[in-house]
Amino acid sequence: MTTATAPKPKADPKPKRNGRWWQRKEPPRQDNNAIIGERKSTPYLFSLPAILLVAALLGFPVLWGTWQSLYRRPRLGAAPEWVGTENYTDMFSSDAFWDSLNKTAVFVSGSLIVGMALGLFFAFALFQVVGRLRFLRAVTIAPYIVSNVAAAVMFRILFNAQFGTMNQVIEWLPFVDSGPRWLADPTWAMVTVIFTQVWTDLPLVILLLLGGMMTIDQAHLDAALVDGASGWNRARHVTIPLLAPQILISIVWLSYSTLTGLGVVLALTGGGPLKATQTMAMEMYTVAFRNLEFNEGLAIATFVLLLNALLTLAYIRIGRRYDYEA
Amino acid sequence: MTDILPPDEITADSIAEESLRATERAPRERRPTPGRGAKGIARSILISIPLIALVFWTVAPFLVTLSVSLKDKTEVFADPSLIPANPSLSAYADVLASDSFTTSFTNSVIVGVGTTVLTILIAVPAAYAFARFRFRGRHLLLLFTLLPRLTPSLGIMIPIFRLAIATNMLDKRTTLILVYTAQLLPLAVWLLVGFFQAIPRDIEEAANVDGASLWGRLRYIVIPLAAPAMITVGVLAFREAWNEFTLVLVLVNSPGNRTLPFELYQIQGVLGVADYPVEAAFTILTIVPFILFYTFVEKHVVAGIISGSGK
Repeated sequence: MTTATAPKPKADPKPKRNGRWWQRKEPPRQDNNAIIGERKSTPYLFSLPAILLVAALLGFPVLWGTWQSLYRRPRLGAAPEWVGTENYTDMFSSDAFWDSLNKTAVFVSGSLIVGMALGLFFAFALFQVVGRLRFLRAVTIAPYIVSNVAAAVMFRILFNAQFGTMNQVIEWLPFVDSGPRWLADPTWAMVTVIFTQVWTDLPLVILLLLGGMMTIDQAHLDAALVDGASGWNRARHVTIPLLAPQILISIVWLSYSTLTGLGVVLALTGGGPLKATQTMAMEMYTVAFRNLEFNEGLAIATFVLLLNALLTLAYIRIGRRYDYEA
Repeated sequence: MTDILPPDEITADSIAEESLRATERAPRERRPTPGRGAKGIARSILISIPLIALVFWTVAPFLVTLSVSLKDKTEVFADPSLIPANPSLSAYADVLASDSFTTSFTNSVIVGVGTTVLTILIAVPAAYAFARFRFRGRHLLLLFTLLPRLTPSLGIMIPIFRLAIATNMLDKRTTLILVYTAQLLPLAVWLLVGFFQAIPRDIEEAANVDGASLWGRLRYIVIPLAAPAMITVGVLAFREAWNEFTLVLVLVNSPGNRTLPFELYQIQGVLGVADYPVEAAFTILTIVPFILFYTFVEKHVVAGIISGSGK
């Protein structure tokens, strides 16, 4: 956690040892449980429901799903049969998979570029805000409370080719006759999806970055100010390097959210037009729930989970490197 | 970040530095009032442009949706201006009168409240155990914090669907409550552990000496002190249940059990020619109840979102 306000437990100060070794008394062994007189079973009983529920509904499904990706139903309704890695070899030799991998790469990198640029820009803006304008921080969080479907409806209206405000603004500009047909156009549909996804994810990025900025030692900025660094240079050479952990964590988090994100794409375009926004998440959904090839879908899911595990690894390393608890 | 001293290591240097810094910072907090001289104006413009952009970015989708929701079905295309010529609430009346909204709204409230209550009921004792006791398995907490990143909804979609079929739990609101609770628990436990650890052990030990039982201590000391964290957890749980879309999409199939996002998704698919005012009004009506609820508890939540965001 980067900006976690949760305090860590203080390490007990080492008891001072006086006298020679034969005079020393070993410090009393710390009681096994926090408070004297509790039964040994208490912590187990307390934590068991949470552990069981999480294990049964998060851990087990993922493991079971990975295992099931090695099976296949020969026909609809038949019992799954062991096929080994056949689902994977088929997946890697299918054009649809590579196509969706491409689309995912565009989707993730596009969201990263737009998301980080806007996130930093807005975080800097909010950081300058004091006094009465602080309510703006609350406004910033608004997209966080909107479901993916609602966001999709809103952006479908905003980016509507016939009456959308976006095209009105674009057509109002000089030298532009007509705005793009956004969701009906394969190229612009991806742009629309990226903007919608970023819109829903940006509040967390802004809060992460803003929290990081607040913890930056003011002395660094003041020193740069005294040295006569301009606002841009202060941002470029002081704030951003000191913000490195928050920036990296935002990048990992955005990648995670877009890589595994299905809601926005499904509700906004459903993968279309002409499969232009068919990301891997959409591909998995199509294969499993439209073609009803669950085991083949699980192979895609496992592949995405693997990529995601690599991201998590990066996340842990960032935490270690910057001495935060990851 | 090696140059920052651990907070509990107070030295003369650190005290001096801190007070120096405080004096240096004080004048910076008082910003020059905008409008005093050309520089002040330039500065206030420079600051306000990004802020205006931020407000636009955040609010524009809401505004256009609100605008369309107040129009007539044909007026949407005929008059694309942002301010409707003759606004009417008929789309809202249509939505509120429809079974589709009232049913899914009720379902969302049931699933939301169920998830919130169950999450708190399970997370509080677990977090207390992790925070206060040394026991085998307390290291699971670390796994807990990483698990949600390793098990996104996308990864559990197919297995949970197959398991729900196998256990005859498909198309039940209880299933949704259980799945959402499981998804929320790691974050909830993690947030609460931090809070419980911050409660001084001495208070509880003193209460113990005075004869308070474990339940008494939880009831009268731990839970009241951790109330802000519990409110945060509750809101996050409610939000998850209220907004979740992809899992409800596969776990529920009868119209009577759909939640609001699923119903909204269904509306736009079912209507051949999109009835934009109705869609927009439905969208606004899914958001408004949560906004009311959220503004009510906002100041508790922001801190929680920040500390939980990286998970």
